[in-house]
Amino acid sequence: MSTSASTEATRLLPRWLLITMTALLVTMVLVPVLYIVLASLNSDVGVASGEYWPSSFSLDSYTRIWTTADLSTGIMNSLIVCAFTAVASALLGTTTAYVLVRYTFLGRLTILRGLVGLQSIPGTLMLLPVFVLFSSAGNYLGLTVIGTRWGLFVAYLTFALPFSTWVMVTYLRGLPRELEEAARTEGASTLVILWKIIFPLSLPAIVVSGIFAFLLGWNDVLFASVLTRPETHTAAVALQIFGSQQEGGALPVYSQMMAAALICAAPVVLLYLAFQRYLVGGLTAGSVK
Amino acid sequence: MTILARPPEETTAKKEQRRRGVTERQRPLWLLTPGGVLMVLVILIPLAVALWISLIDLDQYTLRRWVEAPFIGLDNFVESFSSGLLNSIWISVSFAVLSTIATVPIGIAAALVTQNKYRGRGLVRAVFLIPYVLPSFVVATVWRTMLQPDGVVNAWLSKVGIEGGLWLTGPRSYWALILVEIWAAWPFIYLMALAALQSVDNEVHEASAVDGAPWWPKLRRVILPYLRGPVLLACLLATLNHINNFTLPFVLFGAPAPEDVNVMPMIVYVTSFQSLRFGLSAAMAVLSLVLIAIPLFVYLRAVRLDVHEEGARR
Repeated sequence: MSTSASTEATRLLPRWLLITMTALLVTMVLVPVLYIVLASLNSDVGVASGEYWPSSFSLDSYTRIWTTADLSTGIMNSLIVCAFTAVASALLGTTTAYVLVRYTFLGRLTILRGLVGLQSIPGTLMLLPVFVLFSSAGNYLGLTVIGTRWGLFVAYLTFALPFSTWVMVTYLRGLPRELEEAARTEGASTLVILWKIIFPLSLPAIVVSGIFAFLLGWNDVLFASVLTRPETHTAAVALQIFGSQQEGGALPVYSQMMAAALICAAPVVLLYLAFQRYLVGGLTAGSVK
Repeated sequence: MTILARPPEETTAKKEQRRRGVTERQRPLWLLTPGGVLMVLVILIPLAVALWISLIDLDQYTLRRWVEAPFIGLDNFVESFSSGLLNSIWISVSFAVLSTIATVPIGIAAALVTQNKYRGRGLVRAVFLIPYVLPSFVVATVWRTMLQPDGVVNAWLSKVGIEGGLWLTGPRSYWALILVEIWAAWPFIYLMALAALQSVDNEVHEASAVDGAPWWPKLRRVILPYLRGPVLLACLLATLNHINNFTLPFVLFGAPAPEDVNVMPMIVYVTSFQSLRFGLSAAMAVLSLVLIAIPLFVYLRAVRLDVHEEGARR
């Protein structure tokens, strides 16, 4: 017992157990993760025959996937729709959250409950009426909504907006109010306070809530599989359709599929790496994947 | 600064009068309008429409003029019970509960091994988050490839002399779904357990160290009780997330899903977008919301939402 007393006191597990458990957990995570990388470097035949370690390495799959599947259109669509969703829900969420945190009014608690409750509503329950409203819009309003990017954007707001608002509520409640009060005694209006004080002070949180909104859209398959046409498919739907076409075909191109999966995962992983410190807090605050 | 009359719903819920310094005479409630109007438009109206759809006979012929579709009362609800909804509810609930139960020990173990500082801990923590960070559709695509009849899982099983067989169809698909869900979802429990673990006071550790308690009794009697509340809450949320998970079964098995993994989101999806029975599937979706409302209500009661109190305490 030579180490400092405080670290020794908080030590919960004996050394051997700690090492065994860490090794087991890391293996459990890394075996499938490494499989994606290895399979994408393998040949299509190699993956189909059940190889884990490729018999030959090549980057072929990464060049061929762009012609095999319509991945570039998908990624483009995803980027456009998700970026708009992120900006809209982060900005509107901040304004709404500010009022919810700083002022009391009738129905405030109901709104807060609703924001949390909405995150657990089945997506299918939201999609169904959205689909019916969208497809009848042509008849009642003379608009084509289904298959358009902006239709998908509106549909994504149904879950991104309450989520971003909730992330901002959890952040703003921790923000001291002294600055605002000082500004208010100087005669600043609410809009000025919001623009000059709240927005700059909570910029990291606004970015985080925007990133979460972006990821919710990027990860969605349910809405996009129903509300898009081939030209407006998102990356997720492009990958899903590509995957479901493999079985029954002559030669499944699994290696290219893994390359596509890795390409679709890349933006998400990069965002997490860049904002890891902020995002981990949000993972538990929002409690929604 | 004035003390505002409290709204009636809060007078019943909260007893303390700690509302000073919070409210102002002029509350800029108009700031709620952009977000509020949008939420009413994209959330409340669709939800009301969903309820209405569950009461009408809506199919592909009446879809474009859904306002004029015939009202049939509760017929859709009656029919959904004879169309396999009960079976789906059973599959969904058992799948969700089993997945939650299995992720708890993994998540707590992961939190325990990353609690103490050591060289490389940051890396281990980052690795633990990978399954959670990867998009569900990517996770499902990868496992779908690994679980193919000639895939890598069966190749490994045959090396140790076990006959692989089919994972993505038939009765084993249920266990495949649970396996992948566990792999993808345990970091959520880990994050919640880790947060709880880090809030344990140093004095608690020191006191039990002075007692000279060996690690297991210390862990069981002193540390784990601290985790109980947060982990139970996490379990509630995790179960809800499992029940609502559409992406995983959809990408793993495709639609329509095999009988054994026909979870609620899948049966609703197939009934509406493949059988085009929108009224019937809306009734199913409403019923699944009723089922979810029970744990959701417990959760909303358990979490402190009245942020105002906390804000005023500063």
